[in-house]
Amino acid sequence: MSILPLLIIVPFTFIILALFIHHVRIKNALSLILGLTNFALAFYILKIVHNAGMLKTQMGSWPAPYGITLVADRFSAFMIFISAIVFLAVTLYSIQSIDKERLKNNYFLFTYGILMGVNGSFIAGDIFNLYVWFEVMLMSSFILISFGGEKAQLEGSIKYLILNLISSFFFVAGIGILYGKMGSLNLADLALKFSRIGDFPSLFEPSLILLLVGFAIKGALFPFFFWLPASYHTPPPAVSALFAGLLTKVGIYSLIRIYTLFLHHYDYFWNPIILWMGILSMVIGVITATSQFDFRKILSFHIISQVGYVIIGLAFYTISGLAAAIFFLGHNMLSKTNAFLVAGWVHRERNTLSLKDLGDMFNKHTLWGILFFISAFSLAGLPPLSGFAGKYLIIKAGIESNQIIVAMVALFVGLFTLFSMTKIWIEVFWKNTKNEKNDSEQRIKSNGLPYRYMITASIILALSIIVMGVWAKPIAEFCETAATDLLNNQKYINFVLG
Amino acid sequence: MNNRSLRNIILEKIVGLFMRVMVIFSIYLLLRGHNNPGGGFIGGIIASTGFIFYAIIFGTDSLQKVIKIKPQSFIGIGLLLVLVAALLPTLFSTEMLTGLWIKADVPVLGTLHAGTPLIFDTGVYAVVIGVILTIVISIMEVLKWN
Repeated sequence: MSILPLLIIVPFTFIILALFIHHVRIKNALSLILGLTNFALAFYILKIVHNAGMLKTQMGSWPAPYGITLVADRFSAFMIFISAIVFLAVTLYSIQSIDKERLKNNYFLFTYGILMGVNGSFIAGDIFNLYVWFEVMLMSSFILISFGGEKAQLEGSIKYLILNLISSFFFVAGIGILYGKMGSLNLADLALKFSRIGDFPSLFEPSLILLLVGFAIKGALFPFFFWLPASYHTPPPAVSALFAGLLTKVGIYSLIRIYTLFLHHYDYFWNPIILWMGILSMVIGVITATSQFDFRKILSFHIISQVGYVIIGLAFYTISGLAAAIFFLGHNMLSKTNAFLVAGWVHRERNTLSLKDLGDMFNKHTLWGILFFISAFSLAGLPPLSGFAGKYLIIKAGIESNQIIVAMVALFVGLFTLFSMTKIWIEVFWKNTKNEKNDSEQRIKSNGLPYRYMITASIILALSIIVMGVWAKPIAEFCETAATDLLNNQKYINFVLG
Repeated sequence: MNNRSLRNIILEKIVGLFMRVMVIFSIYLLLRGHNNPGGGFIGGIIASTGFIFYAIIFGTDSLQKVIKIKPQSFIGIGLLLVLVAALLPTLFSTEMLTGLWIKADVPVLGTLHAGTPLIFDTGVYAVVIGVILTIVISIMEVLKWN
C-alpha cells in the first residue's frame, strides 16, 4: 500500500472515533496524538519526496487518466509538512483555549475535517477531486466559523458562507465547462492535452476565468477579498488562527498548480492579470490594515497583503520567482498563525482586542511579548526571521526578471507592514496604560487564566519561524527544486500518466 | 402522544406499517444499487423518510426507542464501514478502494456477487440515515414537537 492515502485516513479515523467517544479529555488526548501522527507522516512523506521527487497512488487501481490520482511532488509535500506543523500547534492551543462546551460538542471533529480537506487538496491529482476536497474543507469551516452561535460570529459566518459558496459555484462551473471541452479531469492529462493544442483557442477562456475567480475568492486576492476581513475576527481565536494558516493558502496552492500546469500556455493574457492582482492585493491589504484598530482585523487584512507577495512571485514565472513564492507561502502560514495565536491569548487575558484599550502587556507577560515580536517582525521581514528570507527572495526574483517597479512596490509594502506591526507592538505590549488612566480603574484587569498549552503551541511555531529564517538556505534550495519541477511540468505529466 | 384524547388509531397503525415497508424497500434499493438504479444514498433517504413519518406521529422519543442507537452513532458506524471498505483491499496488496468481489452460491437465491462496494454503500446508507435523523430530531426538539 502506498503511503499517500494515509494523509486522508488519519484525520478520517479521528472523525470516526470522535463520534463514539464522549469523554472530553480522551478526545483531547486523541486529537493531540493523531495530530502528532499526521506530523510524523508529513515529515516522512517530505523525506521520501525530497529523495525520490514524486509519489503517486491510483485510487481503486484504475489507471491514470480515468481513475483518481493522488500525487505529491515537492511543492505539495512542503505544503503538507508546513500545514501539519500549523495544525499540531493549533490543536495544542485549542485544548486550552476553546471552552468546554465547544470541546464537548466535537470541536476537534471539525478541525480534523479541515485537516482532511487541506491534505486532500494538496495531494489531489484530479481537478474534480480537488473540488471535492475544497468542499470537505469548506463544510468543516462553515461549521467551525458559526460554532457556538455568538451574535458577531453569525454575522461573520453568513458573509463567509455566501461568498465561499459563490466561489465553489464558479469553481465547479469552470470544471464543468473544461470537462465538456477536454473530456478529462486528470490534471496531468489536461496539461498534456493543453500542450498539444499549441495555440490557445479562446474557447477555454470562460472555464479558466471561472477557475481563476474561484481560486481568487478562496485565496482572498484583490477584487475578491472582502469576505476575509469581514469574518476572520469573529470566531474563537484558535479557529481564526487555523483558518488564517490553512484555508486561503489552499486557494493559492491550487492557483499555482493550475497556472504552472496549463494557464501558462497563454501567459501573455494571464501574466499581467495575475501580476496586477498580486500588486493590488499587496498594496490595498496593507493600506487598509494600517487604518484598523482591532488586533485581529489588522492581522486579517495582512493576510491579503501577504498573499499578494506569493502571487507576484508566481507572476514572475521564473524558477527563482516560484521558489520565492513557495518559501513565502510556508513562512506566511507559520508567522500568521502564530500572530493569531498571540492575539487569541491577549483576548483571553483582557476580553478585548481593541488596540486602544490594551497596553502594558510586555511587563507582565514578557514571553508572550517575545513570541508576538517574533511572528510580527517575521511578517514585517526583519533579518534573522523567516520573513526576511521570504521577502528577500521575492524582491531578488523581481529584480532578476526585470520587474524593478514591482520589486520596489514589494519593498514599500514591507515598510507599511513594519509600520502596522509596530503599531500593534506599541499599543498592545509597550504602551503604559497607567499614565493615561491614572486611577486603578481596573482597566488593566487580567483574567490570569492558565495558558501552559497555549504558550507551548506558540513556542513551537516561533521556533519554526526562527529555524526557517536561520536555515533559510537549505529550505530555499528545496523550494528551488520544487519550483524547477513545477516549471518543467513535463516531468509531472510523465510521472502521473506513465 | 401526550394528549390521549386526540389519538388516531388508524393513523398510528398505518404509520407503523408504513415505516416497516419503507425500511424494507430501502434495503431492497441498497442491495440492487450497484448495477441498477438505487444504492446507499437513495436507500438511506427512503429509510429515513419512514423514520421521520414515525417521529411526526409518535414523537422523537418513541422513534429513539424504535431505532435503539443514537443517530450520531449511525454516522459513526457508517463512516467506519466506509473506512473498512476502503482499507480492506490493502490487505490483499492492491490500492485503496479497489473493488474486491466474491461469488457465492446460496441455495435459494442463486449465485450472489458480493464485494467491498456493498460494504461502502451500506456505510453511505447508515451515514445518510444518521445525518437526516440528527437534523430532523434536533429541529423537532427545538420546535417542541413532542
